Amino acid sequence: MGILKPLLTALFLLVPLQAAAYDILVLQSLREKGYDEAVKGARRECRASMRTIVLSDYAEADLTRIVREEHPRMVIAVGDRALEVADNLRGLPVLYMMALNPKPRQNVTGISMLLDPARYLGVFNSLGARRVGVVFDPKRSGAYLKRAQSAARRSGIDLVEREVRSPKETPAMLESLRGRVDALWMIPDLTAVSPASTEAYFLFSQGEAVPVVTFADVYLSMGGAVALGIDRFDIGRQLGEMAQRVLDGTPVEELSPQYPRRAVSKSNEGVLRRLKAMAVSGAQ
Amino acid sequence: MKKSWRFYRFRNSFRFRLYFLFTGLIALLTAAFTSFYVVAEIKSYRSTLEREGRLLATVLAQNARLPLFAENQEALSLLAQGTARYPSVLFVSVSDKDGRNLAAVGDDRKLEQGGIEMSVPVTSPGQVLSPEAVLLGHKRVDEEQVIGRVHLHLDPSTAKERLNKLVAAALAIAVLFWIVVSLLSYQLLKRVTSSFNRLLGGIEEIGSGKLSARVELNGNDELERAATAINAMAASLELRELENLSLQEELLKAMRLEVQEEKKRVMARLIHTNKMTSLGLLLSSMAHEINNPNAAIRFSGHNIGKIWSDVVPLLDGVLREEGEFYLGGVPYQAAREALAQNAVNIVENSERIARVVQGLRDYGAGDGGNQRPTLDINSTVSAALTVLACQMKHGVQLKTSLGSDLPSMSGRQQQIEQVLINLILNAMQALPNGKGEVLLSTRYDKGAEEVVVEVRDTGVGISPEAIDRLFEPFFSTKLDKGGSGLGLYISQYIVAEHGGRLKFSSQSGQGTVAQVILPVEPKSA
Repeated sequence: MGILKPLLTALFLLVPLQAAAYDILVLQSLREKGYDEAVKGARRECRASMRTIVLSDYAEADLTRIVREEHPRMVIAVGDRALEVADNLRGLPVLYMMALNPKPRQNVTGISMLLDPARYLGVFNSLGARRVGVVFDPKRSGAYLKRAQSAARRSGIDLVEREVRSPKETPAMLESLRGRVDALWMIPDLTAVSPASTEAYFLFSQGEAVPVVTFADVYLSMGGAVALGIDRFDIGRQLGEMAQRVLDGTPVEELSPQYPRRAVSKSNEGVLRRLKAMAVSGAQ
Repeated sequence: MKKSWRFYRFRNSFRFRLYFLFTGLIALLTAAFTSFYVVAEIKSYRSTLEREGRLLATVLAQNARLPLFAENQEALSLLAQGTARYPSVLFVSVSDKDGRNLAAVGDDRKLEQGGIEMSVPVTSPGQVLSPEAVLLGHKRVDEEQVIGRVHLHLDPSTAKERLNKLVAAALAIAVLFWIVVSLLSYQLLKRVTSSFNRLLGGIEEIGSGKLSARVELNGNDELERAATAINAMAASLELRELENLSLQEELLKAMRLEVQEEKKRVMARLIHTNKMTSLGLLLSSMAHEINNPNAAIRFSGHNIGKIWSDVVPLLDGVLREEGEFYLGGVPYQAAREALAQNAVNIVENSERIARVVQGLRDYGAGDGGNQRPTLDINSTVSAALTVLACQMKHGVQLKTSLGSDLPSMSGRQQQIEQVLINLILNAMQALPNGKGEVLLSTRYDKGAEEVVVEVRDTGVGISPEAIDRLFEPFFSTKLDKGGSGLGLYISQYIVAEHGGRLKFSSQSGQGTVAQVILPVEPKSA
């Protein structure tokens, strides 16, 4: 009797417990503050139970087995890699956010990382720029630029496009825009905007006295004039609302991908003032 | 000679030494500072060139960042050419991170010894993130990636030329500085040391004997205090000098008086000596004048005696025949003896006169060649007493005690006689009130083979102070009584000439003993 009690206790501790059931499997590409903010926003709007798996914590996570055993009702992919992994999970609805290059698939929807081009065009309008130069990689940002082009036409803005296939081509393409544009649009295209070529935008801006409208406020300190950035927490909240609707029974197919509803606008007044002064002196 | 002396004085002057030290110190300091500056410039020129080259390379690397990223060789060549226009740049090249040379300007073989090679990395801009990272809200990090390199070869010759010019300028400025400071310091020292010179001039003037000179200095510094002290010293010396002059004048006056008195005394002695000489001549003359009648008297005495001896038998016959009769109022019997005695007395006294006269003549004649090969001391004593017989006073008791065993000896009787006369006269003059006893004795000391003549008196004696000066010429305690001060001096000389010695022993108030000690055989001188 004295030996039986410890044996029963050890057996109880060693037997794996059946995992508790949950509604949403959150796949996060890596442990990232930006991703954490977005997930926090999603949890704020969606009260469903969630399990989060950070992919960078595993060499190779067997998500198929997890989904089979744990039966989540949907997957939220945070980041491009998570979206890529989630694409392989057939049969489950996938909502994505914080992915730079999502590809339209069936049963997949989410919140884009790029703002609506119309918002940028509004900024160009307010700056009085009619000819806006933009450098992009068609493979990465072709679809976005197509939408931007159509919106520009509606706004009466001439979007002067320059395609690049390699980051090395960016300076030359920018050189080709000299004298042809009133403003420069810097989009988050990994080919068009690389760490080595970033300053070419601002050198161009300085040389041509045209403002650079960019997608993050960090570029304002490098010479950007206006930054129209995203709010990661609000993107999470936006996705959380979408997930709640899916859990409430709305089919995923009925939910089209959305641009972030909130944009954070900042400007470098000093740059704007100088560019204005340069434009006035140039006109005289 | 004068110029060299002036230069020597100037060279040793305080002003020149101070100026020499000051300018030397300035020259040393200037040379030290110039050397330090030149050495520092030489050391820094290379670092300056390196810094300039690094700056150029860094600027080129910054400018070449985008063209290198875009592999725009044309733009890189333009940039490299722009950098190569700098005079110190020999060669410029830009290569990518794989080492491929994308642009090169200049000849890299020209790199001389001492040339500088510079290599600066071309980096992608730091603190720039990828768009994805930016969207995720990453913080900017300072991570630069090397995307290529800029190579620069620098020519130090231009810097060397600049350095040479700098060194030349530094040396010129140093020399100019030294000259200006030396001139200024000379003027300054001239002004400062003028007080020293005035002080020195005053001291020299005072030192040359012009004690009335004063050092005129204004101010309240050490020199002025020194001048005040020297002036006070000069005033004190001047006062002492005046006192000395006054004392000297008084001394001269006293000396003049003393000399006059001494002169008087000497003149008195000379007069006395002259008198003595005249007396000697007078004595000689007198001896001659006395001797002639004296010879006649003696001759007459002899004749009277002879005649009387012939007349006496005749007169005896008359007596016998006629009885008593008178001659010249005297009975013949009495007259017979008296006349014979008178004749004898005439002769004897005449002879005595002759001896006295002879003695006086010999005394006055001095060394008259009256030398006797043999000297009879007792007869010399008698001769001296004969000469002094007339000097004898009533209160003087002259006693003689002549030795009978005196050997004959050689010597000049007249000189010894003169010595004895001096001693006897001194003894008689020493007697108080001319009363006392004088004992004259002679004896023979066989042991010493000496004859001793002793003159002892009961006079006043000789004081200890005077006894040491007895033989000094012209020393006399009786100058006021006609003493010449030469008697004992001459006596001592005479006795010494005879190989003997003259001794005095005396106690004040108890008489004096004078001894003439003569050797029997004169010692060879």
